[in-house]
Amino acid sequence: MAKSIDVREAQAAPKNQMAGDGRQPTDRSEPHRSSAARLVSESLAIYGRNLKKLVRIPMMLFFSLFQPMLWLLLFTQIFKKLGQFPQFQQQGYSSYLMFFAPSVLTMTVLTSAFQSGMGMVADLEQGMLDKFLISPIHRSSVLVGKVLADASRMVMQGTLVLVVAVLMGARPKTGVAGVLVMLFTAACFGIVWAGLSNIVALRTKNSEMTMMIGILLTFPLLFMSTAMMPSGLLPGWLKTVGKFNPVTYVINTTRDFMNFGYSWMEFGKAIGVIVLVGAFTLTGATRAFKKATS
Amino acid sequence: MSGTSSLIEVANLVKVYGDGTRAVDDVSFVVHPGEIFGFLGPNGAGKTTTIRILVTLLPRTSGKAKVGGHDLDREPASIRTIIGYAGQFIGIDVDLTGRENLILQGKLHGLSSEAARRRADELLEIFGLTDARDRRAAAYSGGMRRRLDLAQALVHQPPLLFLDEPTTGLDPQTRNALWRHLEEMRAGGATIFLTTQYMEEADKLCSRLAIIDHGKIVVSGSPTELKATVGGDVVTLALPEDADGAIVDLAKSALASFPGAGEPTAFDHSVAIPVTDAGQSLSALVRRLDEEGVPIAKLTFTTPTLDEVFLKYTGERMRVEEAVTAHSSMFASMRGRNR
Repeated sequence: MAKSIDVREAQAAPKNQMAGDGRQPTDRSEPHRSSAARLVSESLAIYGRNLKKLVRIPMMLFFSLFQPMLWLLLFTQIFKKLGQFPQFQQQGYSSYLMFFAPSVLTMTVLTSAFQSGMGMVADLEQGMLDKFLISPIHRSSVLVGKVLADASRMVMQGTLVLVVAVLMGARPKTGVAGVLVMLFTAACFGIVWAGLSNIVALRTKNSEMTMMIGILLTFPLLFMSTAMMPSGLLPGWLKTVGKFNPVTYVINTTRDFMNFGYSWMEFGKAIGVIVLVGAFTLTGATRAFKKATS
Repeated sequence: MSGTSSLIEVANLVKVYGDGTRAVDDVSFVVHPGEIFGFLGPNGAGKTTTIRILVTLLPRTSGKAKVGGHDLDREPASIRTIIGYAGQFIGIDVDLTGRENLILQGKLHGLSSEAARRRADELLEIFGLTDARDRRAAAYSGGMRRRLDLAQALVHQPPLLFLDEPTTGLDPQTRNALWRHLEEMRAGGATIFLTTQYMEEADKLCSRLAIIDHGKIVVSGSPTELKATVGGDVVTLALPEDADGAIVDLAKSALASFPGAGEPTAFDHSVAIPVTDAGQSLSALVRRLDEEGVPIAKLTFTTPTLDEVFLKYTGERMRVEEAVTAHSSMFASMRGRNR
């Protein structure tokens, strides 16, 4: 069989203006950078692109916030009196808003997570994924760039939700530092949940399907958690179900930081649950990605 | 042996899809540096599948392939650094501007931000997109998107380009401009592998081509070589619409016995026959058909095009979405002559 031809020679062959003024491939920024350094810069390039898409159409950011905002504004009105009942007050919450705002934060990242899968389908359909795969990047850069952009989106959306809650009168007990922990917890959960969305996206390659399954999963999970009612006021069976629902742990942590103080115990539990869920969803998403791209 | 001078080597390539379709069926060919090599064939012939395998986007079922001397299995990453690829379906991010799309591709190919910006501006200029560079690609026309997609494939100045039906859906002007670009690139030392369903494009651009149909290469060679295999000129006799099989057979035998003529081929309501010099033999041919009582609806003669090559090797006319312009054809209407 033939020997391999010298590619460097072919690259250095004289080029006309089409192929680039005879410029040498040494024009590449740092051709001998380490694999890790390249992984970082490639991931950042893809992150930058995803972020640009996000801010390019600000309407999308707001539309996806429409539903959580509606909940925040309406539910806190509907259940306002509930917050004044002695039984509710006994749970330690000063108002329904203080109780409910962390639930809306969690709901926001759940919704946002399912946009992640739809973005993946769009990249598949628009041929962008092909463009990524054909370039000499680490394939994991595509996923890392996406996770970073998803996290940024979730933090942005979560911040907006909490700002509105504060404007409505909520006063987080732990202040700005506590709010940062709340956003961090919610975004971490959002990312592992986005993994699930991407599994659906890569297996079905259909954005309607991805959205439908997202909606179908989101609501039961919210209702079968402590999102609407303090655990002490839930019927026994829901309390039991809630213990197996990861959403409960995220809500409990953010709610404790909102209402009571730095409850690192709950935070630890939430992170543990997130890691556990992530072990399934993120490896599943990576596997689905490999399958869809080979 | 193909020796050391082949940039693409493919041996016995097979791709069977999950549903059992043999999209690529034992295909072998080589592409040498500096040539434009074309895959000519109708939709569904296996062109896109072959190209997607070679650009490392699709796994193959069996066979061997090397691109730029790199093994498809062992060194896909090395292959990706030396190739540019523009697919049949355009891959651009419509939320980004044209310039941003190009800069992103540059960065993915390891250019620094500064080099990526410089290269993007260069390519925007070459492809006539400078005025639209800061507009979102969603606002681009089909032709502009195609040009942007092609520009993306060139950001890293790849020595080897894969273009899957690069001119499908383009208007004639843009198509001509693209042909000029590709010829300039070839002159600049680039090697191009392209697929097309346009005879004219293959004829004009390709130094060598392979005709592919139903996943198999039916014949390959330079356009001149291939056209020579169908003999000199081809006379095509169109029979009246109501002509039955007997008349077709009559026409075939009348033509077959004509001195200096080759083997006649019948298709639809026509019979085509290669002759050495159509201009000289036309009047004798008409006389012969008259004597035999063959009704003539239309008689044309053409110097050979890849159309005839395709017809000869596949036994059917190639179907394309758009009509292919006839080259040098002399039209001789013989209507009414036999009445």
